[in-house]
Amino acid sequence: MENSPLVLANISKNYSGVAALRDVSFEVFSGEVHALLGENGAGKSTLMNIASGTTFPDSGTIAVDGKNFEKLSPKLATSLGIAFVHQHPAVLPDLTVAENISISVPKKFLQSHGSTSESMRAMLHDFGLDVDLKERVGTLTVAQKHLLEVAKAFVIHPKILILDEPTAPLGQESVDLLFERVRMITDEGTAVIYITHRMAEVRAIAKRVTVLRDGKFRGTSLVSEISDLDLLTLIVGREIESTFPPKHDGSATDKEFLRVENLTSDEFFDISLTANRGEIIGISGVVGNGQSAVCRALAGIKSAQGTISVAGKVLGSRDLINNVAYMPADRHGEGLMMSLSVRENAAINSLIKFRSRLFVSRSKEVNTVRSSLNSIAVKAPSMDALVSSLSGGNQQKVVMARALLAEPAMIIADEPTQGVDVGARAEIYSILREIAQKGIPVIVASSDAKELEGLCDRVYVMSRGHIVEVLDAEAITEEEMVKAAVASTKLIKQDTSGTAVVKRGGSIRRFFKGDFIPPIILSLIMLGLGVYVHGKNSRYTSAFNINSMLLLVTALGFIAVGQTIVMLVGGMDLSVGPMAGFLLIIASFFVQDGSKMTSIIFAFVLMLVLAIAGGAANGALIRFGKFTAVAATLTSYIGIQGFSYLLRKTPGGFINQNVSAKITGSWGPIPVAFIILAVGSIGIEYFVRNSAWGIRLRAVGSDEESARRLGVPINKTVITAYVLSAVFAGFGAVMLMAQLGVGDPAQGTSYTLQSITAVVLGGTSLLGGRGSFIGTLFGSMLLIQVLNATTFLGLSQTWQYLFQGLLVVAAAVVYTTTRSSKRRK
Amino acid sequence: MTVIESSTSLDAGVMKKSSRIQVSRGMKTMIAALVVLFLFCKIFVPDSTSKGAVLGMLPFAAVLAIIALGQTLVIQQGGIDLSVAGSVSLAVVYVTRLPQQHDSQLWKAVLVALGSAVVVGVINGILISRIGINAIVATLGVSSLEYAVIMAISQGSPRRTTNLLNHIAANLTLGIPNSAIFAVLATIMVTLFLKRSVSGRRFEAVGANSHAGFAAGLKVKRHQISAYICAQILYCLAGILLAGILTQPTAYQGDSLVFPSVTVVVLGGTSLLGGRGFPAASAVAALFLQQLNQMVLTLNVPFGVRTLVTAIALLVGIALYTIRWELVRERFSALNSRRSVGAAHV
Repeated sequence: MENSPLVLANISKNYSGVAALRDVSFEVFSGEVHALLGENGAGKSTLMNIASGTTFPDSGTIAVDGKNFEKLSPKLATSLGIAFVHQHPAVLPDLTVAENISISVPKKFLQSHGSTSESMRAMLHDFGLDVDLKERVGTLTVAQKHLLEVAKAFVIHPKILILDEPTAPLGQESVDLLFERVRMITDEGTAVIYITHRMAEVRAIAKRVTVLRDGKFRGTSLVSEISDLDLLTLIVGREIESTFPPKHDGSATDKEFLRVENLTSDEFFDISLTANRGEIIGISGVVGNGQSAVCRALAGIKSAQGTISVAGKVLGSRDLINNVAYMPADRHGEGLMMSLSVRENAAINSLIKFRSRLFVSRSKEVNTVRSSLNSIAVKAPSMDALVSSLSGGNQQKVVMARALLAEPAMIIADEPTQGVDVGARAEIYSILREIAQKGIPVIVASSDAKELEGLCDRVYVMSRGHIVEVLDAEAITEEEMVKAAVASTKLIKQDTSGTAVVKRGGSIRRFFKGDFIPPIILSLIMLGLGVYVHGKNSRYTSAFNINSMLLLVTALGFIAVGQTIVMLVGGMDLSVGPMAGFLLIIASFFVQDGSKMTSIIFAFVLMLVLAIAGGAANGALIRFGKFTAVAATLTSYIGIQGFSYLLRKTPGGFINQNVSAKITGSWGPIPVAFIILAVGSIGIEYFVRNSAWGIRLRAVGSDEESARRLGVPINKTVITAYVLSAVFAGFGAVMLMAQLGVGDPAQGTSYTLQSITAVVLGGTSLLGGRGSFIGTLFGSMLLIQVLNATTFLGLSQTWQYLFQGLLVVAAAVVYTTTRSSKRRK
Repeated sequence: MTVIESSTSLDAGVMKKSSRIQVSRGMKTMIAALVVLFLFCKIFVPDSTSKGAVLGMLPFAAVLAIIALGQTLVIQQGGIDLSVAGSVSLAVVYVTRLPQQHDSQLWKAVLVALGSAVVVGVINGILISRIGINAIVATLGVSSLEYAVIMAISQGSPRRTTNLLNHIAANLTLGIPNSAIFAVLATIMVTLFLKRSVSGRRFEAVGANSHAGFAAGLKVKRHQISAYICAQILYCLAGILLAGILTQPTAYQGDSLVFPSVTVVVLGGTSLLGGRGFPAASAVAALFLQQLNQMVLTLNVPFGVRTLVTAIALLVGIALYTIRWELVRERFSALNSRRSVGAAHV
């Protein structure tokens, strides 16, 4: 028979006692598309996570190419030829398209069209993605990011390709192209597993289909041999454990109470709904089809066009924010303040009511909140218990108590029973029903069709941001909802205009938003400043002054280059200044006049070792101790300073004159050390842009989670960055040896601030992922030049502080505002 | 309503009454540490707990405590404020330079200082919360700008404190240094604001989870900006007191207070990632750190050791609250059991 590269046999998986998969077996064949159908929570994703090694099964076996495994790891799965295109692509926004490809696609797959970049272009073109390889992925549209992810999976010609809802963000053209490519890759013998909710897609592309429900296998069939109706009956019919309160007995006197007209935003289109007094309205659909966005718009925290009126009164966005109670789906992230108590969480929207004169009246608050909590039977050790210590159901009830206490004009509940146990579910349904009966419109968005069937008086079904079906009274059944969702062929309006803009004039626009604009601006400022100061005082451009300025630049430049490395991984190293000072003190003991050569060499080795140790300590505190970068390096800032003062209370230990002379050796007016710094900066710039290590470094800073999914060793990369930062501080210390000539414990610390200033001036992002060493070099030069110019112009210290402060604030404002649009993810 | 109650009355415990006074983990830790430290000093370094030593230590602890209150407000909103250096120094310079030792001019100088503090706070808040600049970069830059003002006013050397300010800040009332009374009052006010006022409660909620605050319709940015403003007012108060205590201050008085202020906030249990803030615990931690300094000072050890002690205190403080000890313990016990299993096999 056919060759089946992947056989999952008798897989079971429990999540904290709840069965996600029960004894499921699943087999795919080479050269065909096997669709995996089922409702939300049916177990499709869990099954595929097991197949791709991100989840381990409790029991069952995985056979890949006839070899049996108890479990896979992501690495093992990849090496076995299993590729998984997730619904949410793991992209690195600050890296270019080419870098995003090269970090996860081995070079051997990028040789189809001669050069690597030609091959990359070709693989993207296959999916209609004609973006410039140098484009930052952060500027791509969601659809383009998704296509990039798909293209990356296809190009390695996997044996087994898993596609999870691949058409969700795509428009018609891209869907057609994708299907064509899927057919081509199956012709080459790849087995494709296609997770979807859509019948039409199953018919269009799959040969075989398997349906899961409630974590159980429901059946496998050839697509040609099963009718839509039969498929639907396999999908629906979840057993429901909860009981529901009776529905609203709509009488003829009911009047329309809530009216939403033509609500439109970037995530949904032309949403219109109405509700009568006493009704609960449901919004159904597969997760991620715009339901949550509609909820947020109704709650006033997402901007949208259209009108919303309650009881004939149109509500503006401020009214919505103040008068609509919103129960977010993400209880931990958005619903509750986990570090606050039950009482504080419940009272947060009704504090004004508890106020008597200046303060919140304790008795009023405690009594009102308690009676509200009791009325909906919240179980908690006390009102002062942290809300994080409660069960999911009770947490949700705290959110409801907050909503009730606020006496809102409308209640929006997004996935109100997610992560809630069966008993509490029934209670939550009753509470929602009761609220509706009081005359407060209740809108419930849920991916659980059964829940909406039991609870709602009218249900709107959404698909890809559109309402595709309205169900009333008897028609509100799980079957109808699922039918509307799976039968939908609506596609989102894919933003293709972006592609055109990106193509045309892309290189110029990119240049202006790129990393090399700061150095150009900085050098223009430097030139202007130079000309001006020279006009006032011609000694400014004397060889002597240029030489001494460049020496200062070199010390700062080395330290700032180290700081830049750390900032590329999204960190910050406050300890560079004290580290440079400390290493200078070390040198002052061993590199004195009359010191032996061996002592001098020993000093440099010792400095290197101590720098590496210090950097490693910073990195370890951050990665293993889970300290924030600021906390860790602030601690070492103070600690290293302590060691400096321990070694030398007062300045002492004069540095060997010959060594100093070597360090300050010049080539005309230009110090050799500066040339080393400049060449070094360019070298590191090139290395970080082109080497695999450099790409990994920026990947971590750009998006740690995505980098992890792409297999970047996070701990190693971050710790290396901090070690390098300390080593560069050591180079800075070598420059200080010549400049200061003496071991002074008070010196060095100021370099922390200066290095951060230089890095910020150079345009490196403090959010990580992007920056430039050449920019940092120019930043250091400008900073030193400005400080030097104030003395030549005879300006007081006031101006030095003023310029330094203005430079860093202005640079930060300019860079942050010009880039902000891109960083919002 | 009755339906719900009947369906759940079986196991629905009636909510217990809220207790009036709650003591945070940071507060407990700091009070315990403080008691241990004083006992240790009493026994091993008795000179550091003499009346004179304590009276000498308290004013500086008070100044640090007031700064720590402000720093707590900022850190609990997920920020950090390094402009303590410029702000404290600026307040010192205002109240010494402007009155030129004339008591009658003091109130004007205080008003100028407060007004300037509000302006600085607004600038910090807008740069960080509205424009989205990294808090370290913004506050370092602003601190530099403050020093520009300091230099312009004082040319780097403030004058002597006026007699009136010296009396207000340094005199004793009922045997307690006035500055300490100011610190206690400031702590009570900040705590009352956070725990009992409507805006304070919202402020705490936004700090605890700004996303949830936004979803609940709170004005997140306004609260974040207000943190920087309130902090500046507190730094200003601290600076004024410091000028009164020292009588002959320098223009760089704030520099040495930046890192201690962050240290005591962390020791008090407020996370550098933001979240819940514990101002009273920060104030107690300030007393702890100052006494620790006093002890080391009395022992006459070098400055380096004192600095190292601060670093270690900070390290221990952060480790105490950030490392998840139960996980470490688990891992160790797992290691041990594995070892014993291995031994059994041998």
